[in-house]
Amino acid sequence: MDTGIRLALTLGQIGAVMVAVLLTVALLTLLERKVLGWMQDRMGPMEVGPYGILQPVADGLKLFFKEDIIPAGANKFMFSLAPVLSLVPALIGFAVIPFGPDWTVDVGGVNFKPFVITDINIGILYILAFASIGAYGIILGGWSSNSKYSLLGGLRSAAQLISYELNVGLSIVGVLLLSSSLSLVTITNAQAGGFWNWYFFAWGSFPQAIAFVVFIISAVAETNRTPFDLPEAESELVAGFFTEYSGMRFAFFFLAEYGNMILVSCVATVLFFGGWHAPFEFLQGPESLHWLTGMFWFTFKVYGFLFLFFWLRATLPRLRYDQLMRFGWKVLLPIALGNIVLTAIVEYIFP
Amino acid sequence: MNLKEWIKTLTFYEILLGMKATMSHLLHYKPITLQYPHEKRALPSNYRGMLALLRYDDGTEKCVGCDLCEAACPSRVIRVVSSEVPGEPTKRYSKEYYMDMTRCLFCGLCVKACPVDALGMTQEYEWAVYDKRQLQLNKQQLLAIGDRNFPVREKRLEFQHPNVAYFNVGFKDIPQKEA
Repeated sequence: MDTGIRLALTLGQIGAVMVAVLLTVALLTLLERKVLGWMQDRMGPMEVGPYGILQPVADGLKLFFKEDIIPAGANKFMFSLAPVLSLVPALIGFAVIPFGPDWTVDVGGVNFKPFVITDINIGILYILAFASIGAYGIILGGWSSNSKYSLLGGLRSAAQLISYELNVGLSIVGVLLLSSSLSLVTITNAQAGGFWNWYFFAWGSFPQAIAFVVFIISAVAETNRTPFDLPEAESELVAGFFTEYSGMRFAFFFLAEYGNMILVSCVATVLFFGGWHAPFEFLQGPESLHWLTGMFWFTFKVYGFLFLFFWLRATLPRLRYDQLMRFGWKVLLPIALGNIVLTAIVEYIFP
Repeated sequence: MNLKEWIKTLTFYEILLGMKATMSHLLHYKPITLQYPHEKRALPSNYRGMLALLRYDDGTEKCVGCDLCEAACPSRVIRVVSSEVPGEPTKRYSKEYYMDMTRCLFCGLCVKACPVDALGMTQEYEWAVYDKRQLQLNKQQLLAIGDRNFPVREKRLEFQHPNVAYFNVGFKDIPQKEA
């Protein structure tokens, strides 16, 4: 009985999070084109529905009804596997993100946390591990397409993901030192009480602002977004690793890219900006309303980061490949390492 | 690098400057887009659009079949088959008149070359078709384009300037100058 209730609750939770993430992806495709348009004195999509708000529906229908082409000479198994390998890690990371207060509800004798699917004690490690699996999808998709452009895109993404994942991992070590936990729920709870307790500011300890800058740059690189969109450089490689993909397989890569964007925004929110905590205690409202204000502040911060992604894309041109590598290994890596050393020293002196 | 440049590099000064520029465009949003099928820009009065054959106000064609437009055309768009007006051997007209608009570059030389102003350039430009054979126009189509774009027609030359001698004396159906 307990197992049945737990299964039903968890499945419901997973369904809710999946629907929320996929709806956000649909919204993001519209929002990105609109924001990019507005920043470049254009209008963005305007034809489908009033002010183009039904554009994601039109895009989805188009992708769904498009012919699914497997190019001649492609490795069919790998070609079909790659989009799934890319999409699943992007969605699976949301399992450990706390979207609201750390409550435990007793439903029919089962302890149930309504705002986090599973609170495992190695949450951030789990996300990093699955982000690395996502690189497999990109590399395999590029390799199995039997196309030079795809292969070049896949190779670029392999090199890029390896060098920038390292920086993501190292930049969050400072936060882990301060919170002495890998669980995202514990990290969020440690940042309660006001914005000065967020690890970006970290009052009374070493602020993780530098680590945040390193993290956000590496996150942009890891999600293959401009200015680090070399794996899918339109002007050089047609579309990079998904040149040969069409229809729903292409849509999977698309969903994976936007899912990854949301995921890194969630991680940045949880690690550096206090997760669901409001910047001031009084903005959080009474205890009974924490679920509402918590969800609001979490969504607000995540959308702030997503806007930053669009903003960067509207502003910056693509980096050259050697610049990308030099910046990752010679600039970001030493900064991340220095941040660890400084945080450790400060934390030792002022525990 | 001196200290100032170091600080600029460390604080991503140039990137922040660029981001400020894009943000200012977002805040002062003034799109320059024209929503084309719904809004159309005003064309200049000398816009060179679709070609058309014209008529006089009594409905007769202006074209006298002189072939000068065919000679002037740099892209060989125009083909004129000239012949005598039946029953009036002193007068000629274009029996057939073809334009291959797939080749036309809208230079307007044919309009300039025409001695009787029988050709005109309209303001039409939405001539996208699914079959390019639809762009090979015959005389009737060209006259129809002229009819719908130039509702106000010119009088015959002889009525425009009644005191000036004209060459076509073969007309019997028009009032002659009193002797």
